[in-house]
Amino acid sequence: MPSSDLLVAVDIGGTFTDITLQDAATGEAWTAKTPSTPRDPSEAFLAGLGLALQAAGRRAAEIGRVLHGTTVATNLILEGKTAPTALLTTQGFRHVLEIGRADLPRRDNLWSWRKPRRPVPPSLVFEIPGRMAADGTELQPLDEAAVREAVHAARAAGARALALCLLHSFANPAHEHRALAILREEAPDLAATASSDVLPVVREYERSMATALNAGVMPAVATYVERLEARLAAGGVQAPLLLMKSNGGVAGAADIRRAPVQTALSGPAAGVVGAAAMAMAAGVPQIITVDIGGTSADICLIRDGKVGLTQTGRIGPWPLPLPMVDMVTIGAGGGSLARVSGGALTVGPESAGADPGPACYGRGGDRPTVTDAHLVLGHLPPALLGGCMALDPRRAEAAIHRHVAEPFGLPVEAAARGILAIADNAMVGAIRLVSVERGHDPRGFALVPFGGAGPLHGAALARLLGMTRVLVPPTPGVLCAQGLLAADLKAEFSRSVAWPLARAEPVRLEAAFRSLMAEAATWFEREAVAAADRSTRRVALMRYEEQGFELAVPWPAAEDPRPALAEGFAAAHRALYGFDLPGVAIEIVTLRLEAAGRLPAPAMPVPCGGGAEDAVIGQQALRLVSGTVHAPILDRARLGPGAAFAGPAILVQLDATTLVPPGWQAQVHPTGALLLDAATR
Amino acid sequence: MTPCDPVTLEIIRGAARAAQAEMEALLERTAMSAFIREKKDFYTAIFDAEGAMAVGSDLPIFGDIVGPVLQRYPLDDMRPGDLYWYNDCYGSRGAVSHSNDQVFLVPVFLGGTASDDGGAQGHPATPGITGAAGRGCLDRPRRGPVRIGFVMGWAHFSDIGGLRPGSLSPEATDHFQEGIIIPPVRLQRDGRTNEDLLRTFWRNSRFPTQSEGDTRALMAAVRLGEARLAEIAARFGAEVLADAFAQLLARTESIVRAKLKATFPVGTTRFADAIDSDGQGNGPFVLRLALTRTEEGRFILDATETDDQAPGPVNLLMHPDVPGMALGLYFLQGEAGQVLNAGGPRAIDEVRLREGSLLWPRSPGPLGLRGLTMMRLLAALHGLVAVARHGEAPASHSAYVILALRGEHQGRRFLMTDGVAVGYGARPFADGVDAVYFVAQENYPVEFMELSYPVRLRAYGIQRDSGGAGRWRGGCGVVREYEVLADTAQVAVRIDSVRNPPWGVAGGLNGGSGRAVVNPGTPQERVLPALSDGTVLRRGDVLRLETGGGGGWGHPFDRPAEEVLADVLGGFVSPEAAARDYGLAIQDGAVDAAHTAALRAARGEAKLFHRRGYTDAVV
Repeated sequence: MPSSDLLVAVDIGGTFTDITLQDAATGEAWTAKTPSTPRDPSEAFLAGLGLALQAAGRRAAEIGRVLHGTTVATNLILEGKTAPTALLTTQGFRHVLEIGRADLPRRDNLWSWRKPRRPVPPSLVFEIPGRMAADGTELQPLDEAAVREAVHAARAAGARALALCLLHSFANPAHEHRALAILREEAPDLAATASSDVLPVVREYERSMATALNAGVMPAVATYVERLEARLAAGGVQAPLLLMKSNGGVAGAADIRRAPVQTALSGPAAGVVGAAAMAMAAGVPQIITVDIGGTSADICLIRDGKVGLTQTGRIGPWPLPLPMVDMVTIGAGGGSLARVSGGALTVGPESAGADPGPACYGRGGDRPTVTDAHLVLGHLPPALLGGCMALDPRRAEAAIHRHVAEPFGLPVEAAARGILAIADNAMVGAIRLVSVERGHDPRGFALVPFGGAGPLHGAALARLLGMTRVLVPPTPGVLCAQGLLAADLKAEFSRSVAWPLARAEPVRLEAAFRSLMAEAATWFEREAVAAADRSTRRVALMRYEEQGFELAVPWPAAEDPRPALAEGFAAAHRALYGFDLPGVAIEIVTLRLEAAGRLPAPAMPVPCGGGAEDAVIGQQALRLVSGTVHAPILDRARLGPGAAFAGPAILVQLDATTLVPPGWQAQVHPTGALLLDAATR
Repeated sequence: MTPCDPVTLEIIRGAARAAQAEMEALLERTAMSAFIREKKDFYTAIFDAEGAMAVGSDLPIFGDIVGPVLQRYPLDDMRPGDLYWYNDCYGSRGAVSHSNDQVFLVPVFLGGTASDDGGAQGHPATPGITGAAGRGCLDRPRRGPVRIGFVMGWAHFSDIGGLRPGSLSPEATDHFQEGIIIPPVRLQRDGRTNEDLLRTFWRNSRFPTQSEGDTRALMAAVRLGEARLAEIAARFGAEVLADAFAQLLARTESIVRAKLKATFPVGTTRFADAIDSDGQGNGPFVLRLALTRTEEGRFILDATETDDQAPGPVNLLMHPDVPGMALGLYFLQGEAGQVLNAGGPRAIDEVRLREGSLLWPRSPGPLGLRGLTMMRLLAALHGLVAVARHGEAPASHSAYVILALRGEHQGRRFLMTDGVAVGYGARPFADGVDAVYFVAQENYPVEFMELSYPVRLRAYGIQRDSGGAGRWRGGCGVVREYEVLADTAQVAVRIDSVRNPPWGVAGGLNGGSGRAVVNPGTPQERVLPALSDGTVLRRGDVLRLETGGGGGWGHPFDRPAEEVLADVLGGFVSPEAAARDYGLAIQDGAVDAAHTAALRAARGEAKLFHRRGYTDAVV
């Protein structure tokens, strides 16, 4: 058996593939960066791994765990490039995807909105006779011949993947399971998946969509995972490959192959898990994370170091009700474009993207972005990526002048400040949505900004929200790797029950959980989790009868859990919504078992470096409302534990730039995290 | 007045939108009736200190919401902790146009939210944005709370009493049969609720628990909105906020006015369309609109030539602000950063209505099904644009369809009100939208229906050939087939645009019509009157509902053959209709190019509109 002390985390980005190799016992880490190989990403994966092993002077056989966050499924879905997929559905319901919820988004104009194109066209949807009732009784047997015909028709029409979603399969999956067996018989070469295996919950459109997307990403993800495994084996790695899921946990390749759509939010989830682990290590358990990239920002609230889950998530225009990290995404990032039209100044959601990028990149972009505004105000050093990429402030100024300052008759500086204020405001709105709406006061939390652009905004956002503490991770631009190294194996098992609380006898509840425990046990076995590392948590999703939205209530330790459940539900309802409804009947909609297999977390690397005065590598004019001041530029790599300084200052490192405005006191925590505290006034 | 700079303006707009999103999320999560929580029939808005709607929803049917309250409760008498409520249609001059819609309205103050009095019901959500300097409020002498605006929550309550379950029935002959009427009342003073009033209201509902849950949800939502708006005011100051609202109103007004000028020449543009019937054997009823642009640039909308009011409940008490809101939504297409608000109505200088007409009925004319007249009105406004711009306008849509099924099942009373999607009109730049009900409203999932009501759905799909043919195809309606599982159930159906199908424009053909059929394909098959109530169905009966589509835009022969073929393969267009309307020949699942060219060579003369044949005017 390989030594389990050596861990590898691989993060494949559009441009670079980052490898982190870490000795779990000592915390010592080595990193390598290599150009990504989009045609076959596993090439860069192995090349980078080789480099990192070389740097560490270790052998592939010593590796105990290979962890990976993949964006393969995400990109296929967002770019509409899923495999040609056929959907087999219940007779009479061919247009389930086309109709959707018949909804037009609340903020879109009825007269100009266009319906997004579905991932499966109606010409590839096949109707199958056979019917279950809502309670799971069979009304009409499955027409097996029709299933076989559909497979052949689908193949003839060019389908490479097959998705099955039959009505009420969450109540009784027998037809789906039988049909799936037939698909595998008739077309063993095509990817096939059934909704009851992907997501056994009520609402046919959402379930059909999740299943269709799952089928559509299966061929590519399967190929991808197989290639990775083959290359790893060829390279002498004997350790299991674990992939990050949208729920913030990892799972083995077999689990991912079965339901690859679980990785749709793999990347953002890994970042959130990394932020949570880093904050816990720094002794800060209540945090709100803001992950700001080029085009969007993901915001997540974490209590007691625990990442919350939602089942009402989305990817692009599609609902995806799988358990995923509960975050809000908005279209505001470093590349967001500022524009003036009809007398209104707006920032985003349109983005300059990576190409041409912000005007200051000098790649042909001439419209102003958030990054240009930062540069004009002196928030960024003259060059990024350790000096590799020069920024052109004149282009930034010209773009802001022409597109924003001139139309409004404002000085360029004021226009730049305005662009940032508007982008910050959008993020503040989203932070309030994840905090206040969920019954929390953001002032009781620390803000953890990460992503390439996060640490430029952290202090400003915190100030707007009345938050007094900001925690900047040691490597804010590549936090995914930290998340991968910190993640546990995770899976959820749930059952739709729809039982009135009053009539849910403890015996029935216990029996339901026992069967979920059995499913979890099978999963633990498959993932080879040792008994001591297994843990499960029971959750009841409850609501007032006739409400449409459930609250997750932790399971109480009591012989009859019902009184405590009722109390817990009412308290949660009050906290979230400001009222409860005494006397109104309560219903348990779903029982959920959250299973985790603990993976030993590596020790944190110990940063080296000295005091702040030794880290100064230059200075820069910072243009504040109150006037221009000269701020030191500090090399973050030279800041050791305990180093302390006051804003204004600019911290540079390979993966991000941190702005410490006046009024903030900074100190490096022993973990390497930078703590910013608002000066008391 | 302190001027609000463009950056602050955008921040205030963003914060107001975020406040609306929070209110809406709270409503959706806590409301009890399926009408609100699944169908999402609710809206929010934010008003300035005098009551002008400054940030609305993208819904083109709002009138002056605050005005009716002010008539009874003077502004000077309002204070923190107040909450006002009404659903009175005639009493609000059509600000609310059927009684199921409840308006909850809270005046918002700076320097005195209701929370200290318990008015916010202990809502935790008042962290404040204390980090920012409260610019406007620091130097102002403190003289008690300053009113800075209003916040509205609006939602359709599924049953408020009246003639039939659901409170809306084609059989109503008098507005007093359409549920309890709440004139503008003060539901809370100093944060204390008049519980007697609420108990009276709930007692009038056939589903009092739902009604109570929905009321509490709506109250919590407006209190949340109150807290948010107060925070915005605390951050920027009352004067800056007031100026921001004024600018948002002025901006919308000037855009709408400029686009009206670009669209309509000096003189009078006319358009008329009709609804089929009032459900009581009368009709059609014609809506006649005349939009005049004077030499001086004034805009006058005259609807006085519209037919007399109907005995049945299809009368639309059209608040004079409604045409401006509707045209406002149309003209704000593609205008990122703008909001629909009272600036729309301000762009129209005068609206003329005739008392006793379908669009300004006399009390107590019944109003419950005014939705179908509303939908026809919206299309008629587009008709005006089409006439003025020679066809550069969306084609007509169908009016959304509603099916109500009520009865008793296993000892419990049930009411299933199913709002069913239709097709919308094709546009000069895109196909019409398939299967949409109306702004932001969702359908009931089949699995939800079967879990919640004694019905089984046998089919739910696109209604083939219901979208009007055109270079851009009209949106398709849907088919929904219900099998009744209750012993007996009473059915109401609401379908319009059967005798007067949705018109096509610029060469596009009209869209298809809807219908309701009982036991189709059996010897017992019968078609129900399109607008009717009281039909009794028994266990095992099947009701098939087909809904109409939208009109097409541009000549169908100009639609690329591949797009027509995709529609045929996808079940939107039948092969027969492809040949007949689009001149497309299909051979073995592929386009027969030669035959298609031959079919398309024989192309007749088109006129501006199409309704069962090309025409210059649809009625």
